[in-house]
Amino acid sequence: MNGDDFDVAQCLRRVREQDLEAARVLVERLYPQIIRIVRSHLPTRAAEEDLAQEIFAKLFARLDQYEERRGVPFTHWVSRLAVRTCLDALRAERRRPELRWADLPDEQAEWLQFMLADETPPPEASPTSARELLEKLLAQLPPADRLILHALDLEERPVKEVAALTGWSVTLVKVRAFRARRKLRKLALVFKENHPYETL
Amino acid sequence: MKHFDQRWQICATHARQAARRDEESPFGFASRVASRTREAQQSPSDLISARQALVWLGGALAVLALCAALELPHWHGEPPLQTGIENAVAQLVWSL
Repeated sequence: MNGDDFDVAQCLRRVREQDLEAARVLVERLYPQIIRIVRSHLPTRAAEEDLAQEIFAKLFARLDQYEERRGVPFTHWVSRLAVRTCLDALRAERRRPELRWADLPDEQAEWLQFMLADETPPPEASPTSARELLEKLLAQLPPADRLILHALDLEERPVKEVAALTGWSVTLVKVRAFRARRKLRKLALVFKENHPYETL
Repeated sequence: MKHFDQRWQICATHARQAARRDEESPFGFASRVASRTREAQQSPSDLISARQALVWLGGALAVLALCAALELPHWHGEPPLQTGIENAVAQLVWSL
């Protein structure tokens, strides 16, 4: 699973036989993969550990549904389950957080200013602030759009991989990405009109 | 705003350079999840038997209530059928 000699099939067999130690080992193995997905698609008011726990609970409850097939690794099945659970959690979120200049730390505001203006050079602000700002901008989009752009632009996953992860076709992923980018542009435009920044 | 997409990609390139947060599972998380899973795996049979017991109890109570409702009018030793009703039935049969 992580490139070492960990035997997934054997571990799953032991988990199905209710081996507590095997279940614990499986959780530890899968945690980094699941927490990455959770952090990418975390609803505003949810705790990442709670959502991760929910995913593991679903995983163990549905373990019997997983069938080993050629070319479909267990990790892909886990990723799809995690993505679906996160999407459900995001859809359940009643209201998306509002983006306001006043709430942004200085470095994030600099990045936003850079994106909305036409001439300014990229700021010296830290990559972390760029990431945090992009997360906030993506949080303004509907869950599926957020998922697509996060996977393509922030995680740099290939379209094929995103298609496998979501269960959508490659064409659908491309179309959704195109529409998501258009929505993001519109959002930025509306934001710029409604919240003029003094130095723009 | 003319170059928003380009600028978005520049920002995304910077964002990808951000240090990854710790991805190790928190202390005790794996054990907690594993033990909860075990409880969940064991509980379905207990739940089923508990539900069955409730259904049986409900059924028994319903039968008891029905019997009580039927018996209640005769609690004071009154006959099951009143004379008036018996006479009316007899007259009806006789007239037919």
